[in-house]
Amino acid sequence: MKPVIETQHLSKWYGNVLGLSDVTLEIEPGITGILGPNGAGKSTFLKLITGQIKPNIGTCFIKGKKIRNNYPLFSFIGFCPEQDAFFDELTGWQFITGLLRLHHYSPAERDDRAQKALEIVELVEDKDRVIKSYSRGMRQRLKFAQAIAHDPEIVVLDEPLNGLDPLGRRKIIRLIKSYKGEGRTVMVSSHVLPEIEAMTKKIILIHQGKIFAQGDIHYIRDLIETHPHIISIKCSDPRLLASNFIQEEFVLNVKFSSAENTLLVETNNRDKFFSLIPSLSVKNNIEVEEITSPDDNLQAVFDYLVGK
Amino acid sequence: MTIKEKGYTHWDGEFQDKKFPWWPITRYGIKLTFRKKFFKLFFPASFLLAVFFLAGIYISERLDDFKSMFGESVPSLQIDPAYFKTYLAGGFLLFIMLIMVIFCGSGLISDDLKHNALQLYFSRPLKKRDYFLGKTAVIVFFLFLLTLVPGFVFIIMKMIFAGSFKFFLSYPWLPLSVIAYSVLVTAFFSFYTLFLSSLNKSRLFVAILIFGIYFGSEILRAIFYENFHNHHFSLLSISANIQQVGAVIFNQKTPYPIHWILSLLVLTAFCILAGFVLKKKVKGVEIVK
Repeated sequence: MKPVIETQHLSKWYGNVLGLSDVTLEIEPGITGILGPNGAGKSTFLKLITGQIKPNIGTCFIKGKKIRNNYPLFSFIGFCPEQDAFFDELTGWQFITGLLRLHHYSPAERDDRAQKALEIVELVEDKDRVIKSYSRGMRQRLKFAQAIAHDPEIVVLDEPLNGLDPLGRRKIIRLIKSYKGEGRTVMVSSHVLPEIEAMTKKIILIHQGKIFAQGDIHYIRDLIETHPHIISIKCSDPRLLASNFIQEEFVLNVKFSSAENTLLVETNNRDKFFSLIPSLSVKNNIEVEEITSPDDNLQAVFDYLVGK
Repeated sequence: MTIKEKGYTHWDGEFQDKKFPWWPITRYGIKLTFRKKFFKLFFPASFLLAVFFLAGIYISERLDDFKSMFGESVPSLQIDPAYFKTYLAGGFLLFIMLIMVIFCGSGLISDDLKHNALQLYFSRPLKKRDYFLGKTAVIVFFLFLLTLVPGFVFIIMKMIFAGSFKFFLSYPWLPLSVIAYSVLVTAFFSFYTLFLSSLNKSRLFVAILIFGIYFGSEILRAIFYENFHNHHFSLLSISANIQQVGAVIFNQKTPYPIHWILSLLVLTAFCILAGFVLKKKVKGVEIVK
């Protein structure tokens, strides 16, 4: 399949700070997840492929044409930025139609497209409310609506699920997935693996401005599963619980946290570990208050990939 | 993964440049200005000076009638380029223009910065040049209403009231002077306003800057002049430089005994500097973490 987006040795730095380094890749139609921790270079990459910023080195092609300063080509792209980008005093309707004006549609077509976009994101009923009265989820959906209102072939979404509640997340994920079968190219960035996993199997793993891996998400998943996990347990007797854990083979390390009554356990088999906790808790009469995973799994994978 | 073509048809045609891609930005800027509560009061009031000067033109043509009504004490009123200069380059109109740009221009870029809207503009088929053109056109629209439009209305009304082309034939260059001065003062205020608007995300702060720098420059001129008695310090004042060049454009004696070219150079240098800063400030959002 012919790539829609193609980059060659794309590099960008901000003074001494490296934004992106020597990225050469091809992206085909479908949903592609850009995965990486905060500050990895995801936003820089997305801004470069949408022609908003100039690379220091390298070129980006959209549909075989250079994107930089090729303004008519921008009509093919719908961009949903990470940060809120609204004129709060406008209504949702005015915001969408105002941006559609920049595409020079006739008033009738503009209204029609705005209506369709707002229908897709389920904001028709709230279209006449000012944006500042919108909830976080509604604002995210409105941002999505402005990205798709001109029916672009390439949709670029920078952290579209940031700060959303589970219901809001589900709605946005459903919207993004609905684009899957339409032959469009959708690029979604996130630093949370399960978010990307819910949308696509194709991912690009980016870290410290470099592409670490590109391909099937299962590969990344496997890396996470085989990599040690740190689990924090807050309980009534952490020392007693620790003495039980150290007898297990899949427990690699046990530490006492500075937080009160909290135990940090490193394990290479999360499933076995979690299944053990209830029985130990009952057997030793230990009250477990809280179980969390303080380590970012994705970060662990990156550390693993860079050989830390 | 297999991608099935369902509803979307790829389009491989050639896009053509739109004629006025900046127009939606201008339209929105003008519309937004008229939404401001105080502007609705200020806008009609800003034309009172023009109406007053227009009345002067009418009176100048009916001076004999007025003399018969009020006696010979009615002063004579000469409509000539000096009259136009008094209106267009006068301190009061400059003050009105300043208030006008505060209303229409202070938020032009600062609001976009505040709302992170630059990425919304620049991810669309819109050049940076068109963005600036769109923003500038908002200021041009309002300032031409105070300069170019009244200037031409005065010329036309003078001829209508007089019932002859004598005035035009006496000063055939006057329309060009009106155009030149309007363009100069509008260009300066456009750069001045957009430059300051790009410096901060707060519209209020920008408004204070617009006001403060304008009057601050005049205060500075006065302080230096009082201390050193050197007219070259008038180059520090925005209004003095505009009035200096304005006087030359209308073929009048300059208000300060220094060469007008220096004032023009100061204004031009400011515009170039402002343009340079604007280019640096208004660009794709770059995030450094």
